[in-house]
Amino acid sequence: MAFGAFRAVDRANLEVAEGEIVGLIGPNGAGKSTFFNCLAGDATPTAGVIRFADRDVTRATPEEHARLGMARSFQVPVTFEDMSVADNVMVGAFLRHPHRRDARHAAAEILSFTGLAPLAETRAGSLGTPGRKRLEIARALATEPRLLLLDEALAGLTPAETRLAIELVRKISERGITIVIVEHVMEVILSLTERAVVFHQGRVIAAGAPRDVVEDPAVVAAYLGHHMKRVRR
Amino acid sequence: MILLQVVVSGLLMGAVYALFSSGLTLIWGMMNVVNFAHGDFVMLAMYVAFFAFTLFHLGPLEFIPLAALLLFGLGVAVYFGLVRHMAKGPMLAQILGTFGLALVLRYAAFWAFSANFVSLPDNLVGGTFAVAGLRIEASRLLGGVLALLITIGMHLVLTHTTLGSRVLAVAEDRNAAMLMGIRPDRMQALAWGVGAASTGIAGALIAMFFYISPTVGESLALIAFVVVCLGGFGSVPGALVAGLSIGVIEALSAYLIGAVYQDVVVYALFLLVLWVRPQGLMGTI
Amino acid sequence: MTMPGRSGHMTPERIAVAVGFGLLLAWPLLVQDVFWQRIGALVLLSAISASAWNLLGGYAGQVSVGHAVYFGAGAYSSLVVYTDLGWPPIAGAPIGILVSCLLGLVIGTPTFRLRGHYFSMATIAAAELLRILAGNWPLVGAAVGLMGPPTPRSIADLSFISPIPCHYLFLGVLIILLVLTWQMQRSRMGYYLAAIRGGDRGARSLGVPVLRYKVYALLLSATFTSIAGSLYAVMVGFADPDSALGILISVKMVITAALGGAGTLFGPLIGALILVPLEETTNAWFGGSGTGITFIIYGAIILLITRFQPGGMAALWRQILPRGHRRNTVVESANRAA
Repeated sequence: MAFGAFRAVDRANLEVAEGEIVGLIGPNGAGKSTFFNCLAGDATPTAGVIRFADRDVTRATPEEHARLGMARSFQVPVTFEDMSVADNVMVGAFLRHPHRRDARHAAAEILSFTGLAPLAETRAGSLGTPGRKRLEIARALATEPRLLLLDEALAGLTPAETRLAIELVRKISERGITIVIVEHVMEVILSLTERAVVFHQGRVIAAGAPRDVVEDPAVVAAYLGHHMKRVRR
Repeated sequence: MILLQVVVSGLLMGAVYALFSSGLTLIWGMMNVVNFAHGDFVMLAMYVAFFAFTLFHLGPLEFIPLAALLLFGLGVAVYFGLVRHMAKGPMLAQILGTFGLALVLRYAAFWAFSANFVSLPDNLVGGTFAVAGLRIEASRLLGGVLALLITIGMHLVLTHTTLGSRVLAVAEDRNAAMLMGIRPDRMQALAWGVGAASTGIAGALIAMFFYISPTVGESLALIAFVVVCLGGFGSVPGALVAGLSIGVIEALSAYLIGAVYQDVVVYALFLLVLWVRPQGLMGTI
Repeated sequence: MTMPGRSGHMTPERIAVAVGFGLLLAWPLLVQDVFWQRIGALVLLSAISASAWNLLGGYAGQVSVGHAVYFGAGAYSSLVVYTDLGWPPIAGAPIGILVSCLLGLVIGTPTFRLRGHYFSMATIAAAELLRILAGNWPLVGAAVGLMGPPTPRSIADLSFISPIPCHYLFLGVLIILLVLTWQMQRSRMGYYLAAIRGGDRGARSLGVPVLRYKVYALLLSATFTSIAGSLYAVMVGFADPDSALGILISVKMVITAALGGAGTLFGPLIGALILVPLEETTNAWFGGSGTGITFIIYGAIILLITRFQPGGMAALWRQILPRGHRRNTVVESANRAA
């Protein structure tokens, strides 16, 4: 994927099997967010193909993605501030349930699944960051996706909040939903994902079980090198 | 020959457009707030010029800086009194806010000065120049040249002085600027002051060769929007190029199609630009 | 998205609504003075156009400041069919709706790509463009405008000496519009429009066909604004580019809705209840809008609501409501609750 002369992502391949939890990791600026946005339909790759369940979705719009069963959360939550938490989730539910009553039931189920039920009538804009991130996920879930793309959904949380969020992601996986998660917090990747793919300077430099990947010398160099660059200044 | 005449007068008018549009682009670029009252600022400046002359017998050398100063004060007052609070609110409030201001200014002028046109005497800046077969009114020449110089001056100050770079820093990234010790509030107030001052100068210049009435603000505001959108919001050089272009296009339309439709051409162009290239010729949104 | 309170219970809001409509219904009979009866009809007319604007500007969050084009289309269509075909003006209303919807599609579809201020400016430019063109188009009377029947030829002309029949006609139309709005608000369309207002990007990611729903809102809004224009032509019997397509028409619609509370069901009506009597009495005291005082007051009101209460009267009401009926706004960490 090139932005003018700058190749943000260069020949990255990713295959995700149904039911997996895959992590995309790499230092900042490695290209994982750009790659992720292409997957989610918010950006169109300048070269390459994206297929979802035997369908070419390279040029599909975000709305089409949602309809086909690929949902995403945003790194900075795009909460509908003036609506209640329940209404936020209902917007997602309406995708599969055109009628209000059905949508409401579906939303209620998602709310209790994600632990947001006590906040159902709260104005979404009054939630703090952990609440908004959880709401992002709940809304995406309400569209009944087969694949859930999480963009740094666990960043900026305290250790306790992180543990609860990891639990939620596991529960989602247990429902049979495939998950691709972009993250740069290592413990999350280690405890949550079955497979990790490491990006560095727009390329995939390693892929495999998280434990192995973390010890891969190339990966270590990428992270340390990045760190060292900052230290030298 | 006539065509050249038309183009030249278009350029001169365009320079004035560029001047007050630079003010708008500065304000707009700073805080993403559109000043719907911008045209009425120009209108007020025109009245300042008129009354300075008729009541106090001040000449252009005096009433131009006077208008600039008074409008600067108005701009700062509007920032602190209204805009600062508005920017945090919902989109509707932002749009309505300066609209309300426009209404108040326009109809206060209407009430105070009545709907009748007034004007400054033609010979204020004496005579007409005949240059290379063209006839140019001295007042328009003065207006155009001064406007051009001041607009270029604004750009230079913004890009080559410390103060200017502080203003631009706040426009680019407010939070980062705060971390560097710049106070965004002050810079934004300054931007509003300077933006309004540019309307002050422009208005005083226009007053020398245009009819003055309370409702001129409406079409001037739209011209300013067109220029800013065409030139790219936040870009003073863009406003300069766009202002000159619009001046010429307007003059040519008046000549070729008729004065009535000159506005139609400008608005149609505006819509075209918005649809085809919303970021303008030189902007980067 | 629904009125607070369990169904069947008489909340303060429901009582207020019932009383309000009772008053509106009985108004012409309560006041014997023609001046005040006329104000009643004008309030309702203003409420119709503001409520129509509200569909696009309030619920969908697309602040159009060029809605006068739809109003003018309705007004002119009615007067053109009378002037050129001899039909009763109201027969022009369906034509006005058609024209408005076409205009809406032409103007709306490209402009919906634009964000916030740009969208508003585009609507202003489009409206001004059409106003100038109309001022030079003989069919609609150019700058002079068109007039309706000076004396009614039959009841179909709907020009009555007393404002009372207009009052009930307008009230009927308003009720239809409000019922439609209420249904919309509770349906998927209502949620989708609220999502669009909350943010295009987020809405898209949830599968909302953003452009399509914006266009639906626009068409509905344009239709009823056009109807308001036709009703205006019927009642007032005159239209010219300034009175039917001027920017002040657009601005008034926006202010009326915003004052009462944009995006709420009764906001526009409340706005109309405040602004129209204000304007009419100011005109009467100070001798006509020629003195501009009315608009200074309008401007001042906008400044006040912008500065202090952007949510309008509706937001003010919510703040005054007793605690039990208020929406919960306490911030809680979702994790603590889980």
